[in-house]
Amino acid sequence: MPFDPSDIMKDRITDIGPPKYDKFFPPVIKENYGKWKYHEILEPGVLVHVSETGAEVYTVRVGAARLLSVDLIRDICDIADKHCDGYVRWTTRNNIEFLVDDKAKLKPLIDELKSRGNWFPIGGTGASVTNVVHTQGWIHCHTPAIDASGIVKAVMDELFEYFGSHKLPAQVRISLACCLNMCGAVHCSDIAILGVHRKPPIIEHERVQNVCEIPLVIAACPTAAIKPKKVGDYKSVEINENRCMFCGNCYTMCPALPLADGEGDGIALWIGGKVSNSRVPPKFSKLAVPYIPNEPPRWPTTVQTIKKMLETYASDAKRYERIGEWIERIGWEKFFEKTGIEFRHEHIDDYRLAMTTWRTTTQFRF
Amino acid sequence: MAQVEYKGKVFNLDEDGFIDSFDNWCPEWVQYVKESEGIQELTEEHWKIIHVLQDYYRKHGIAPMVRILTKVTGYKLKYIYELFPSGPGKGACKMAGLPKPTGCV
Ligand code: SF4
Ligand code: SF4
Repeated sequence: MPFDPSDIMKDRITDIGPPKYDKFFPPVIKENYGKWKYHEILEPGVLVHVSETGAEVYTVRVGAARLLSVDLIRDICDIADKHCDGYVRWTTRNNIEFLVDDKAKLKPLIDELKSRGNWFPIGGTGASVTNVVHTQGWIHCHTPAIDASGIVKAVMDELFEYFGSHKLPAQVRISLACCLNMCGAVHCSDIAILGVHRKPPIIEHERVQNVCEIPLVIAACPTAAIKPKKVGDYKSVEINENRCMFCGNCYTMCPALPLADGEGDGIALWIGGKVSNSRVPPKFSKLAVPYIPNEPPRWPTTVQTIKKMLETYASDAKRYERIGEWIERIGWEKFFEKTGIEFRHEHIDDYRLAMTTWRTTTQFRF
Repeated sequence: MAQVEYKGKVFNLDEDGFIDSFDNWCPEWVQYVKESEGIQELTEEHWKIIHVLQDYYRKHGIAPMVRILTKVTGYKLKYIYELFPSGPGKGACKMAGLPKPTGCV
């Protein structure tokens, strides 16, 4: 029943949802579902889970660029066909995991992955820097202030040794979002890369009333910088530039308010977030560096600043301490001192509940 | 911007087939779009939804929230989808001449 454009509802299938998750379980997973006793990390990127039944499953985790061609997915399927009876899975950080049910099958799988150059780097387990959760950037979105794939590649190249090793005090989650819509995990990651603007939107007065719902635009602004205004014959808006902090929310609602700017746009780095409840409750990441220019194609300043923060943490934190826990223990003033990052007025919160973030104690370190 | 001519009227469309301005809407527009929106015959119920959207837009400057549309028309969302297979936004708002829905849609 080919799709018939003159009768689009004919033979239409809908509301069937995704296929049931267990349809694609490897047999060893299906048989031991809910019976796992313990697991071990055998080496970076390689796990074993042992079941109450004595069954074992070996997992090899490999990095992936997230943005993949069908050709590469077919390569992944070929490897899964050859070594894993056709089964493969993706992780919540977009790594790929190959599973085998017998130790004897492990080495041929690892040899095969290693034989393919850098396409399938093994790692991402334990106290490592695993994959970077990231967004669309200049590949596909219309609101980005920075790219996603390009920066992620540059950062992971520089931190590659931490992907396939366990030399950090704890796992370090790095995330990127290309605007402060923050698709993904930047607000809750150990290190976060965020695209920011520094200039207010341009108002295309002759388009506003035709392509925008003006009340939505006004309501989109978190600082109430927008008000309705008649410009000549056009119903339009006015932006108070002293109240605008360049979030771009109004552009999301109104295509006639673009604000992307080659020189203005850049990167803010955030630090110290986490989502797990281990030891201390989850944390939001906080501003570490307010602005670094966009430097395509390798973003050297961003990459080096991240590396510096990571390595300062690695040499200073205690075992199991996440970055946020480390900073909280040593104090933010020491974080800035040790990393050499300049503390600027932009670091001081000035949004509504800002007062709760200021220091209301005499306790600080010189 | 693409231009189409239909029954003596000229419409300027964006890449998603929304008209350039609410002011350029006319009943012929609805006739022109209905096919691409999967509608065989326009009924009074179609027109009722279109008119509710237009009245609300004229009065408030925005498209109504779906819950307001269902409340005012008395049609459940499921029924609105039966009338406009691509839904209240892409289907009904487009035919009513309202601006294209924005945000993370
Ligand atoms: S973070 Fe912003 S720019 Fe990036 S994909 Fe999400 S909405 Fe688009
Ligand atoms: S960019 Fe943000 S702060 Fe500035 S006017 Fe638009 S919504 Fe308001």
